[in-house]
This record gives sequence, C-alpha cells and structure tokens, in this order.
Amino acid sequence: MIHSLFLVNPSGDIFLEKHWKSVVSRSVCDYFLEAREKALDPEDVPPVISTPHHYLISIYRDKLFFLSVIQTEVPPLFVIEFLHRVAEMIQDYFGECSETVIKDNVVMVYELLEEMLDNGFPLATESNVLKEMIRPPTILRSVVNTLTGSSNVGDKLPTGQLSTIPWRRAGVKYTNNEAYFDVVEEIDAILDRTGTTVFAEIQGVVEACVKLSGMPDLTLSFMNPRLLDDVSFHPCVRYKRWESERVLSFIPPDGNFTLMTYHVNAQNLVAIPVYVKHSINFFESGSGGRLDLTVGPKQTMGKTVEGVLVTVHMPKTVLSVSLNATQGSYTYDNATKVLVWDIGKLNPQKLPNLRGSLSLQTGAPKPEENPSLNIDLKIQQLAISGLKVNRLDMFGEKYKPFKGVKYITKAGKFQVRM
Amino acid sequence: MPYLGGEETVRELRRALSNPHIQTDHLRYRNTIHRVIRLMSQGVDVSGLFSEMVKACATGDIVQKKLVYVFLCSYASVNPELSLLVINTLRKDCSDPNPMVRSLALRNMCNLRLPGLCEYVEQPLTAGLKDKAACVRRVAVLGWAKIHALLPNTEIDAAVVNELYGLLRDPDPVVMVNCLRALEEILEEEGGVAINKPIAHHLLNRLKECDVWGQSEVLSVLQRYRPRSEDELFDILSLLDPALLSHHVPIMAATLRLFLSLCSMLPAVCVSALERARGPLLAAAGSSSRELRYAALCHIQLLLRSEPGLMGEHYKRFYCGYAEPPYIKQSKIQVLVELVNDDNVAVVLDELKGYCTDVNTETSQAAINAIGSIGRSYDDRCLGILTGLLELKQEHITSAVLQTLRDLVWVSPQYGDAVCSALEKWEDQLQDTQGRGALLWLLGVYGDRLSGAPYILEDFIDGVRSEVSAEVKTELLTATLRVFLSRPAETQDMMGRLLQHCIEEELDMCVRDQALLYYRLLHCGIEDVRRVLQCGRRSDLSLGPLIGRPPEPISQWASIFNTLEPLMLGASSAGNSDPSTLTPYTLTSHSEPMTSDPHLMTPKLKDPDLTAPACSGQCLSLSSTLSPEEFERLWLQTEKGEFLEAYVMCPVPRCSPESLQVALQLVNIQTLAFTAPNKLPWKMYLYTHSSHTLTPHSSTTPPNTLILAEVLQAGGDGVKKVKEELIEDQENEREESVKEGEGGEERRGEMSGGVGGEDGGKGELLVRMRQYTGEKTTLTEFLSVLTTVLNAQHTA
Repeated sequence: MIHSLFLVNPSGDIFLEKHWKSVVSRSVCDYFLEAREKALDPEDVPPVISTPHHYLISIYRDKLFFLSVIQTEVPPLFVIEFLHRVAEMIQDYFGECSETVIKDNVVMVYELLEEMLDNGFPLATESNVLKEMIRPPTILRSVVNTLTGSSNVGDKLPTGQLSTIPWRRAGVKYTNNEAYFDVVEEIDAILDRTGTTVFAEIQGVVEACVKLSGMPDLTLSFMNPRLLDDVSFHPCVRYKRWESERVLSFIPPDGNFTLMTYHVNAQNLVAIPVYVKHSINFFESGSGGRLDLTVGPKQTMGKTVEGVLVTVHMPKTVLSVSLNATQGSYTYDNATKVLVWDIGKLNPQKLPNLRGSLSLQTGAPKPEENPSLNIDLKIQQLAISGLKVNRLDMFGEKYKPFKGVKYITKAGKFQVRM
Repeated sequence: MPYLGGEETVRELRRALSNPHIQTDHLRYRNTIHRVIRLMSQGVDVSGLFSEMVKACATGDIVQKKLVYVFLCSYASVNPELSLLVINTLRKDCSDPNPMVRSLALRNMCNLRLPGLCEYVEQPLTAGLKDKAACVRRVAVLGWAKIHALLPNTEIDAAVVNELYGLLRDPDPVVMVNCLRALEEILEEEGGVAINKPIAHHLLNRLKECDVWGQSEVLSVLQRYRPRSEDELFDILSLLDPALLSHHVPIMAATLRLFLSLCSMLPAVCVSALERARGPLLAAAGSSSRELRYAALCHIQLLLRSEPGLMGEHYKRFYCGYAEPPYIKQSKIQVLVELVNDDNVAVVLDELKGYCTDVNTETSQAAINAIGSIGRSYDDRCLGILTGLLELKQEHITSAVLQTLRDLVWVSPQYGDAVCSALEKWEDQLQDTQGRGALLWLLGVYGDRLSGAPYILEDFIDGVRSEVSAEVKTELLTATLRVFLSRPAETQDMMGRLLQHCIEEELDMCVRDQALLYYRLLHCGIEDVRRVLQCGRRSDLSLGPLIGRPPEPISQWASIFNTLEPLMLGASSAGNSDPSTLTPYTLTSHSEPMTSDPHLMTPKLKDPDLTAPACSGQCLSLSSTLSPEEFERLWLQTEKGEFLEAYVMCPVPRCSPESLQVALQLVNIQTLAFTAPNKLPWKMYLYTHSSHTLTPHSSTTPPNTLILAEVLQAGGDGVKKVKEELIEDQENEREESVKEGEGGEERRGEMSGGVGGEDGGKGELLVRMRQYTGEKTTLTEFLSVLTTVLNAQHTA
C-alpha cells in the first residue's frame, strides 16, 4: 500500500527515508522536487503527483513535506490521513515536529515508523499502544537511561490488544478518577469590506481526557443538542441513542481522545465576536499609501477576547511600513509581505488602533488588489454557538469520579476583506 | 548526499564494534550501534560493517536487537552470503518465550528480502500462524505476503492459503485484516480473496472492532460481494449506515463507495446515501488539512456530475480564503460554477469577480473562465464584469478575458454588440499567443462594427516579421481578409503586404499554404471570398449547442470514487501542472473502452453488444473535451487529413436528444450539438478520440487521434442543401481531395452501394468523418460503433 516515505525540507533536501517494501530510489522524488521548484510557495505544491511508475502523495505540515510513494491503487484520503497521523505521532513524542527534532531523534523515528507500518499496511497507530512499545523520551528518563542502561523500548506486550472493547485497555486503575471534557469551537468566517458576513460557520470538537478505573459507562447530555448539524462521533458512541434521545452514551477509551465533532452552519446562529474598522488607500502618484486599522469587540457574551493577532497580506509592491500601534506590537516581513500585529487582550474602553503610512516600490503601478486580513483570537469559558453540557452520569462502576467541562472559542479561518 | 569523512568514521566504528571492551559494556555497545544507524539514515554507506553488526545481533538486549535488525534489513541485499549467518540467530529468537521477541524476529526475517533465504523462513512462519500471541500471528500472516512478493513465480502452498482463510476468523481484528491484505496479494492473479456469503457477513459483523485503517480496507474488499437477495442487501446497508457519518473521512468515503457499488441497481438509495454523506464531505472540504480539503473537493466535483442540486444551498462553503493554495482555489471555483442557480447567481458572480485579480495568474484565469461559462446560461451581468476587467490593463487578465469573450460570443451571438463596445477603445499590447489569437478572431468577426479594427490589424501586420507563433499568423490572415471584405479601402494595402510576406518569406508551411489559398481565392472574385469567409456568424442558432451537461448517471463515476483518479482529473482540469508531469497513465481503467471489429463493416450489426471486450485493439476515449470553436477550427484544418463519407441505413432517431447523447457517451463518443428531433434537415456533430491499444504496429500510429464527425439526414435533397449551407467555404476543395484520394472513392462506393444503393429514401443518414492523421480503418471502426448505437437507439 504505502511503499516508502521520504521526509523533505522546504529547500528540497531529503533528510529521512523509510522503505516498507523494496527500496525505491531517491530519484523518484525528482518529480516532486520539480513541482516544488515550479510552485511559488511550498504550500502550493499539488498533493498528488503521478510519475511513470508511482504516485507521489505528499502533505505539507509544520514546514516539512511528508512524501509517500504509492505503487498500487489506494484511496487517497486514506494515505493523506495516515501521513497526518505520522506527523501527529512525531509531534506527540517529541513535543514538536521539525527537521531538527527528527534529525536528533532519527533512530527513534525509525523505530516508530517500523511499528506504524508493516509491509506498507498500518499496524499500530494508536498513540497509547505505540507508547507502550516505545516510550517517549523525557529528560529525566534519558538521564536515567544513560546511568542505568535501560531502554526506551517496552519489553512487555501492549495490553490493549487483550480487551474485548478494542478502544479500551482492560484492567485500568487510577487513584484519582477523573473525566474532563473540552468543548473547542472554531469560527470560520469571511467578512466583506462593509463588515457584513459573507460566510460563517462554527466547527466544534469535544475533546475528552478520561482517566477512570475499570469499565465505566458514561452518558453525556447537552442543554441544547438541536443546535448541532453534521455531528460525527468516536466509534465508542452508541449512535442509536443519539438518534433517539440526543444524548451521548459511551464506554470511553482510556486517556485523550476526540469524542465528537460538529458543525453549526445556520448563519444567524454564528456570532461574530469582533469587528474591524479598516481603511487602506494608495496614492494615485504610486509612491505610498495609508493604513488605518481598529479592532473592537462585537458579540462576546460578556467575555474578554484574548490573544488577538491580525495578519495582513500586503500587495507585492509594498516595500516598507511605518505604523504606530496604540496597543501591542507589529512586525512586517518584507520577503513574504506579511504584516503581523499582535494585540493581545481587547479592552472595550480603549480600542487598539494601528495607523501609519506604507511606502511602495517607486515606479510600480497602484496595486489593483486590496489585501485581506486574517484574525486570530481566543475567548475562554465560552462556546460561541451557545452549546452547553448539561450533565455527565456514570454507570457500571462504584466510585465517584471527578468531572469537569471547559469551553473555549478560537478563530479558525477568520478573514476580513478590505 | 555527500558526506565528508564517511570512510574514516566507518573505520573508526568498525574498530569500536570489534573492541572487546565495548562489547562487554552494554551501554557503550548500544551507543556505537546508535551511531551506525544515524550515519545510515544520513545516506553514508555503512554496509562494510555488516559482519560486525551480525555479531551484535546475538544479544539479549531487545533495543539493541531492534537497532541491528534495522541495519540488517537495509543492507541484507548487498551481503546475501553474510545474511545467512543471521538466520540462525533469528530462528532461535522465533522460539523465544517473549512474544515481542518472536514477532520481532519473524518480521525481520521476512524483511531481509533475500529469495535464497525463503526456505529457512517458511517453517517459522508456519509455526507463527498458530502462535498463541496475536502479535506474532499478525506478523506471520503478512510474512506470507512478503514471501509471495519475493518469489512471485512459485505457488504458495494451498495448505497455507487455507490456513489464512481460516485465520479470517481469528479473534484478533488486526490478524483478520492482515489476513485479508495477505490473501489479496497472494491471490492477486485469481482476483483477490474469494468473498462468499459467510465471509462477507463475518467481516461485516466484525467491522466495528477494527481500527480505522482496517475498516477502510475491509470495506473496499467487500465491494466484490454481491448480496443474494434484496433483504440481505438492505440488512447490509443498515449495518453500514452509521459509518456514512464517520468523522474519519477515509471510512466515510470507503463506505459511500461500497454503498454506490451495492446499490448500483437502486438509484434512489444511492441518492439518499449521497445526501447522508454530504455533511461529512462538506466537513472534509473545510478541514484544516489542505490536502484533505483538496481530495474532498475533487470528490465533491464527482458527486455534482450526477446530483447538481446536492450542495446548492451550501455554495458559500466553497468561497476561497485568501491564503489558500491555488490548486484548492481552482477546484473551488469549478465547484462554484456548478452550484450557480437563479437565486445565487449575483452573489457568486460578485465573489468570482474578486478572484479575477488573484495574485496567481492561473487562479485568476480560472475565475475569468468561470464567469464566462456562467454567462452562457445567465444574463449579461457576466459580460459587464468581463469588460470591466479589461480596464485593469493587466496582461494575463486581458488575455484570459479575450479568450473567454471569444468563446462566449460564439455560443451566444447576442452579446456581440457589448463585446464590440468593449473592444472599441482597444489600445493595449498583448504578448500572450492565446490572447492574441482570440483578439484577432474577434477583430475579424466584428471588423465591420469596430472602427479601430484596421489600425489594430496594421500593428500586427507591421510586426509580422518578428511573430513566432504560426497560430497567430493564420488567425491574422483570416482576420485581415474578413476585415478587407467589410472595409476594403482601409485594409487593401496592408493585406497586400501581409500576403506578400506570408507567401514569399514565411517558413511555416501551414501559414504559407493558407496565404496562397486566400491569394487564389481573391483571384476568383470578391463574391467567392465573401461566400467562403462570411457565411454569417459561424454558430448556427438552430443547433442549440449543448450548454449545460445533463446529469450523468451515478454509475458513470461510482467506480472511480475514492480512488486516485478524481484527484488527477482535478489536477488536469485545473491546468496547474504541465503536460510532462501529467501523463495519461492511470492505474485502473474506469470505463470499459468501446471497441469494434473492423471486419464487421456492415452498418447493421446483428448484435448491438455495446460492451464487447477489446478484440481489435482499437478503442475510443473521451480523454479531452473540445469546445465548439475548436471543433470548427479542427474540422477546417483536417481538410488534408483522412476523410470518409458513408451512408448508413438508419432512420433519424426518434428518441430524445438527451438519451441519444447519453447512449453515445457510453461508447465514448461526445456529442457537440444537434438539432431538435423533428426539425429538418436533422444534423448532429460528434467527436471522439481513437487510441490503439494492442495492435502490433502501434508504433507507427499515433497513440491518440481525434475523430470529428458530422451526421446529416440524407433524405431527399436534404444532403445537397445542407452541404451548401454548412461548409460551403471549402466545399469544392474537399470534393477534389475526395476524388483524388483513390481509396476514399472506392470505399464510398462500396458502402453506399452495399447498403443504401437501391433505397436512398428516408432511412439514410450521411456520416462525414475527419481525422487529422491516421488510417482509414480507425474511421471505419468508428463508423461501425456509431451505426450500432444509432440502430440500437432506434430499436429501443
């Protein structure tokens, strides 16, 4: 299925290769590198490239290309998802997924890849199963290992394979029994220049961290379940009960997992938490222009908007900016033409403002295209769709668990056109 | 990758590995091996250390073992003799009490990939199939697949295959899925695992236990199963139903594909499955991974081919974000065009207008084309946007707009006036060949209405010496002649210069021939020229070109759903990769090519077997589409190519044009345009690509050649009338060429004599076929296919 994997950095060096079937020569990557040369931006490389004898499916993630070589017909979604899983696993093990980290831990990455695929077929990809076989490095453990000579490889079988429920280990024991749920909502929106919503939707996900002993059977209910469109669940959720009673009933996996994902599409339900007053104009003479940006809170349900970050993609001809921010700081990268304004917390009494002049390349025509801004933000303790967890009940075990729910709203692809 | 000091390091490592002090020190030994692996991963050739590493293999330390195995598997093929030494250690490990060690040894024994060692591996593998520990069985099962890959010519023992079938019922789900995978590979020649009712039901019942990857594979294997009864089918469907909403996109896609293949006879069920899967698909199209988003978009495009209304209300989900990569933007634009309806056309056009000024030229051209194709079916707001774009004076935008305008007025001549007023103030310079061709075409056609036309042409003619593109030059010749007809006084002088240059100095034969043709035509008198060049607007309104495609049946694309093909289709239609990387190579052929026997030339085939297997090595394909004006251009260009005319014994089909079109599409013939069924004279335009697949002399014929065809009703004097009306311009020329071509005349006699000779009445259709290159046989084969379809349609 998946023949080989190459890790390629953005400048085109192959720094790791792994073959699960016969060895495929590195030269197969030339087709990919050619496409990479042609694309202006590493993100622009098409994900599927066909060569005379192989297909190359790649993902670009964390400034690295994960390039897989395919020789037989496979579902592309499968391969893409698997490559993301590899990246997530590296992230999970080493805290970040970058070229240096992979090079530093190359032997361990090799071992992981060896366990994840056998003969090109996914073998063990669940994080908790893998971690039982190959222990993630910690500073303490690597010190201990060097002193005692013990290893990072578990020498006992992962026990998860023996349970009757595939997603849960048998015989789990905790001293503190706890179940935490995070409701995370991301707003994807496009606002036009007058501030009206062109398109908005909420993508929500309920992440769970369940550390309960034995075989608990949980039931989670919402205050307003009819709000949700397009729900999809972790395989542990009993779908029939959701359809009839709109409650989530499940035997949870052990540890961290995604319980459900959902969408809220109806546009009138999507509250837009901030507004932007902006004006950008370029002088007819072509030598410069002015920029004025103000960000303020809109529908925040009384919560504070934090971590506000405004990113502006400037036209290619903008050489430099000289601006003045009343709050936060800004940077302008001349190579990528990206202006980043880091505001932080929004104060409704004193709205942050960024204004000043732009200087353009001399002789260049007035830019045709107005830039667009992307906004990043975070609101703690609020699910912007209004979704609320009603209660969590546990059956099947005697003890009383510690329960908690946290809400957070973030900006996803939140874009304002200028 | 060059690595400086590689040899020195290898020597040093060898010393360290064979140093008894290090060998006794657990930790230092392992660290040295660590260094070897690290070097290996950097591309240094450390194969010289093989024998030292073999020794390091015999250890109780499981980590060290793992590391050494990684090394051995990489270099075993370089040192087959030394690898024999490892086998002993590995076989000993296979009987270790620790299942982890057993599975590790077994896995790596197979991973050595040395055909010579297979005999030593088989025995532990057989034992492994019966091992108590699931993880050993998992490895052993796949081990047989590896052995089969190593020795493809030897049969795997039938007992082993039986054992593997038995292990499909293993309590461990991974063993079960691995069995499927192994059997699929081992039995590839027999068509994979045999799925009978008990196996299918067993797999379905255990589906939930598998991990996501396993589920996706089980689902794809199950496609080969055909339920016996309707009840069974619906039981399976209701079992699979929740998986349509899975949040793992691969599972959702695999389930949907299985649904479509199971319900191919029940279109209503297919549609409701598509509706259920819409949510997850849309969610995937908005996922944070851009690759996933792209794959989902390509699949949505497939869905829309059959169910254009499916996503109608969700069109806003396909708005492009600013920072998205061009390949996503382009497929989103294509989806948006499909989703346009009366309610949202204004909003979508506004949105598309924004993309026209995208930084990426390909994206902006795609957006401009999209506006053009919306303009074919919707009002002239599109035209306002397009002409507005001309004012931006951006080279690539202008060029794309001109091409779009050309295509648009060809289909909808009523926009002519608006286009003229937009071109009235033309004063730009264009570098792009395609754009200049389009400009010249427009100037030629609307020369009488554009006051500045002769002056723009003059600029072109003055620069003709430095012009490199033959295409632009031929376009220029035609345009100049057309303008000359309407405004002789302003054009005569420059036309003389142009003809002189093209005839005397031009090196390109096509351009020179065309210039000569026009020169001689001018000698014949102005009336003849007018008749040839100004036969109205070329687009015949009564033909009603097929603007919107009718919805295709789902079965048309169900077989390529969730394969790589939609992604490649997406890439080719988005046009963001150049032809060299875009080979027409596919791993699966999705549609059975229509073939026919050249010897069965009687137009009335006894048995209209439309899906006959390949027998003659020729097949038709729809590899690329043709726009009406391209068709016209090629039709005129193929004057010199192969030409065949035949009378076919077949009445004008009485069925609806749409059903005829679908029928022709099934045999890969594309219909470009036709008249309404009861309108006289009835005519139809078709094209297709022929490709030779298995013919021994295929090296001499081009791999893919275009066939153009025109079907006319031959009843009464219709033929003659139509001939004059339609292609009068070069009718004489062609008549000549037919007579000259000795074969053509003979063949025509043969065909019309044999079939329609005595009865030239109502039941006859005249088929004219043209092909640029190639041989008569391809045309005759095409004809027989066409006749079969027409007859079948009539009898149906």
